[in-house]
Amino acid sequence: MTLALASLLLPLGTALLMLALRLRSGNWVIVASLGSLLCAGLALNQVLDQGLQTLVIGGWRTPLGIRFELSTLTALLLIFTAMTHLLVAIYAQYSRHSQTRDTDYWPLSSLLHASLAALWLSRDLFNWYVTLELLGLVAVAMIILSGPKAYAPALRYLLLSLAASLCYLLGVALLYGRYGVLDLDLLAQASQADHSTRMALLLMTVGLMLKAALWPLHLWLPAAHSSAPTAVSALLSALVVKGPLFILWLLWSRVAPLEMTESAGLLFALAGIVALLSGGWAALRTPLLKRLVAYSTVAQLGYALLALGLLLRWQQSELSVALWLFVLAHGLAKVSMFLAAGEMQATLGSRRVASLKGATQTMPVAMFAFAVAGGSLIGLPPSGGFVAKWVLLQPLLAEPIHWPWALGVLIGTLASAAYVFRVVALSFDRAEATPPNFNPDPFAQWLALLPAIAVWGLALFSQPLIRWLTEASG
Amino acid sequence: MIANWTNLLPLGIVLSSLLPGLLIFTLREEQTRLRIALNLFGVMLKLGLVGLMLWGVAQGLEFRFSLPFLPGGDLVLQGDALSLQFVSLSTVLWLATTIYAIGYLEDAPLRSRFFGYFSLCVSATVGLALAGNLVTFLLFYELLTLATFPLVVHRGTPQALRAGRIYLTYTLGGGALLLMGVALLHSLTGSPEFSAGGYLQPLLETRSVSLTLAFALMIAGLGVKAALLPLHGWLPQAMVAPAPVSALLHAVAVVKAGAFGIVRVVYDVYGVEPVQALGLHLPLLALAAATITYGSLKALQQQELKKRLAYSTVSQVSYITLGVALMGPIAAVGALAHLVHQGLMKVTLFYCAGNFAETLGVHRIREMDGIGQRMPLTMTAFTLAALGMIGVPPTAGFISKWYLGLGALESGWPIILLVLVISGLLNAAYFLPLIYRGWFAAPKTEWPAGKAAHAGRPGWRETHWMLLAPTLFTAVLALLAGILAGTGFSPLGWSELIINREFGL
Repeated sequence: MTLALASLLLPLGTALLMLALRLRSGNWVIVASLGSLLCAGLALNQVLDQGLQTLVIGGWRTPLGIRFELSTLTALLLIFTAMTHLLVAIYAQYSRHSQTRDTDYWPLSSLLHASLAALWLSRDLFNWYVTLELLGLVAVAMIILSGPKAYAPALRYLLLSLAASLCYLLGVALLYGRYGVLDLDLLAQASQADHSTRMALLLMTVGLMLKAALWPLHLWLPAAHSSAPTAVSALLSALVVKGPLFILWLLWSRVAPLEMTESAGLLFALAGIVALLSGGWAALRTPLLKRLVAYSTVAQLGYALLALGLLLRWQQSELSVALWLFVLAHGLAKVSMFLAAGEMQATLGSRRVASLKGATQTMPVAMFAFAVAGGSLIGLPPSGGFVAKWVLLQPLLAEPIHWPWALGVLIGTLASAAYVFRVVALSFDRAEATPPNFNPDPFAQWLALLPAIAVWGLALFSQPLIRWLTEASG
Repeated sequence: MIANWTNLLPLGIVLSSLLPGLLIFTLREEQTRLRIALNLFGVMLKLGLVGLMLWGVAQGLEFRFSLPFLPGGDLVLQGDALSLQFVSLSTVLWLATTIYAIGYLEDAPLRSRFFGYFSLCVSATVGLALAGNLVTFLLFYELLTLATFPLVVHRGTPQALRAGRIYLTYTLGGGALLLMGVALLHSLTGSPEFSAGGYLQPLLETRSVSLTLAFALMIAGLGVKAALLPLHGWLPQAMVAPAPVSALLHAVAVVKAGAFGIVRVVYDVYGVEPVQALGLHLPLLALAAATITYGSLKALQQQELKKRLAYSTVSQVSYITLGVALMGPIAAVGALAHLVHQGLMKVTLFYCAGNFAETLGVHRIREMDGIGQRMPLTMTAFTLAALGMIGVPPTAGFISKWYLGLGALESGWPIILLVLVISGLLNAAYFLPLIYRGWFAAPKTEWPAGKAAHAGRPGWRETHWMLLAPTLFTAVLALLAGILAGTGFSPLGWSELIINREFGL
C-alpha cells in the first residue's frame, strides 16, 4: 500500500514543488513519472503476492474516515497512468513540435497524474467528487495552453464539467442523506431500491457520463480534445475520460440494487452500440485529423459502455474483464494515435486529413504508428483491442439469444475499420504528396510508435492480464 | 515447453522471412545489394528449414510450437502433411518470385517498402499454413490482409488506390465475419488443435444452429479470399498491382489462403460426417460450381490479359472448393493436388503476362499477335501453362480434373461432370485464341526497342534473365507435376497421403 501511495504522492509532490519554485522543466516530471511507474509496478507485485490491500487514512475507520483500496485493477491502472504520463512527458519535452515545453503544462500534468491516481485508489463517494473536480479543472487549464482558439471549446468543457460535478454531488448528497455513509462497501451493503436511491443514481450517472463523454453526452469531447496541444490530447483521451468510467462501473456493479441494474444495463448497452455507430460515422466524415481521432474516442468508449451494460444486465463478471481490457488497449492506442497525428499535423503544416496524401513516404514511421494503433482500435489480431473484443464476444456468442448484440460489435468493427483505413489508404497516394514543410522529427515519431507496439504486445501478455482482471472483478 | 529444435522449427520457418522483411524496411533505397542479399538469405534459409521439416515429417517427427495467447486458444504452429504442402508451394514460389521481382523492379522507386511488405506477406502465408488451431489461423489470415494492402496500392496511382480500397472493403469485411465465426466456435468448445475428422462431433445434436451459423460465417469470411461467387469482386481490381504481386499473391498466397482455410474448416474442424449431417456441403457445392462457370464466362469477355487471368483464377480456385464440397476422398485428392497445380500454372501465366508487359508493353490480348516470334521461350511457358489450365493430358491440370471428375462420380454427383466439361470448354475458348495469336498471327507493328536492360533477341536474351528464369522454372515444375504425378513425391502423391490420413483410409 505504501508503494501505491508513493505512486500517488510523487507526482503530487512534483506538482506542488514546481508551482512553489516556479520550475517549468520537463525533466522533473519525467523523473517523477518514472518513479511513480516503478512504485506502481512494485505495488502490483505486492498485490499479486498478498492480495487486496486497504488503507484507512489517518487511522480513522469507516464510516468516519476515508478508505483507500489497492486491488489488482487499481495497480494496473496506476501502472497504466504512470506509463502514459512518462511517455507523453518525454514527448512534450523532447519533440521539436511540442507546444508545451517550458509552460504550465508540467505542474498541471503532474497534478492530473496525482488526481487520477487518487481516483483509482479511492473507494469513497465524496473523495471521488474531489478528484473528479480536480481532474476537470486541470484538464480545462491544459486545453487552454494551446492559445485563444481553444478558449471556446475549453469554456464549454468547463461549464459542462461543472454542471456534471454538481449533478454528481447532488447524487452523493442524496445517498448520504438516505444512508448516512459514503464508503462504497458500506453503501453496497445498505442500498435498497427506493426512490431516493434511484434519483441519486440517476443524477450521478448523468454527471459521470457527461464527464466520461459517453454517448449521448459526448458532444463537448471532439472539439475539446482536438483543440488541445498534442500531448494534452493524448492524456485526455487515454486517461481522463476513463476516470469517471471507473466510478460509474463501481457504482453500478457494487452499489446499485439488482432490481435496477437490469433495465439500466439495457440502456447502457444500447447507448454503447449507438456510440460505436455515431462516433464511427462522425470520424468517417470529419475533414480534420485530430478531430477524427477524437471522434474515434467517442466510438471506442461505446465498447466500454456496451461491456458495462451487458455486465449489469446479465451479471456476468467476466464482462468487466472485457471492459478494462478495452480501456487499457484504447488508452495505449490513443496515445500513439494522437502523438502520431500531432507530429504529422505539425510537420505537414495542415490540420486536414487530406494533407496526409503520400505520408507513407514523407513520414513513414508516424504513419506506421497511426496504422498500427488503428489496427488495435479495429480489433485486428493479435492486438490488445482484439483480445478485449474477443473476451467481450465470448458470452455474447455462447447463447443464440444474445447474438443480436454480437451484430453490434461486428458493425462497430467495420465502422472503426472504415475510418482508420480512410486515413491509411490516403497516405499511400503518391500523386501530389504533401511535402513536409521542414525536417521531420524522427525521435518523436518513434516515440509515437512505442505505445502502438505495446498495445500489440499486450496480446502476448493477455493470459496473465485476463487472470488478474478476473481476480479483481471476482 | 522444452526448447527443442522440433519445437522451434515452425517458428523458425515463419521468422526466416519475417525478420529479413523487417530489416529490409530499415534499408535506404540505394542499398540494393544488401537488400538483395537479405532477401535471398531469407529465401534460402526458409527453403532449407522447410526441407528439414519435410525430412522430419517423413521420419515421423512432430513439429509443434505453442505460446499462451487467449484462454482456451493458444498460439500454435505445427507442421502436418497438409500444412507442409502449402508451405512448400509458397516457399518455392517465393524463391522464384523474389528473383522475378528483383528483375522486374530494377530502378523502380520504393523498393525497400515493396520487398519489406512482400516478405511480410510470405511470412503471413506460411504462418497461416502452419497454424495449428483456428485462433492462430485467424491471426495470420488478418495479417495477410494487412501486409498485402500496401502491395496492391504500391504504385500509388488513383486507380491503384481505388483497387486498394475495394480490396480492403472485401477482405476486412471477410476478416470480421471469419472472426465472428471463429469466436462463435470458440465460445462453444475453445479452440483445440486441428485434428483429422474434426472436433465438433459431440456438439452435433445440441448446438446444430450455432454450428451452422459458424460454418456460414467462416465460409463467407474465407470465401472472400478464395473469391467465391458474390465475394470475388476484389480480385480483378487488384490486378493493378505490379506483376510479381499479382503472380505470387493473387494467384497463390491470398486466394489459396482462402481455399486452404476452407479445407481446414471442413476436414479438420467440422469433419466430413458432421458437415454431411448438417447438410452444409450442398450450398458450398452449388456455390463452387456457380463460381467455376461464372469465372470462366467472365474471363471470356476480358480484353486485358491480366484481367482474363484474374477471372480464370476466380474459376480455377473454386475447383479446390468443389473438390472439398464433394466430400469424397478421390475428389479431395483432386482438390489438394489442384491447390499446387493451379498455383504453379497460374504463377507461370502471370510471369509471362508480366514479361510481355515489361519487355514489349503488351497489356491487351489484341496486341499479342505474333509475340511468339519475338519471345519464343516466354510464349512456350505460357502455352504449357495454358494447356495445363485447359486440362490437356498429361499436364498437371489434367490430373486434378481427372480426380475431381472421378470423385464427382464416386460421390454420386454426375452433374458436376457437366460443370467440369463446360468449364473445360470455356477454358479452351479463352486460352486457345491467345496461343493461336501468339504463335500464328502476324504481328501488326514492329516491336518497340524496349528498355535497355530488357531489350534483346528472341531466345535466351529475349528479356531480362531474372524475368525469364523464374518463368521457365515454374513452367517446368508445372509440367513435371503432371508427368510425374504417379510418383510418391509429386503433389498428387502427397495429396493422397494427406487424404488417407484425413479419411482414415
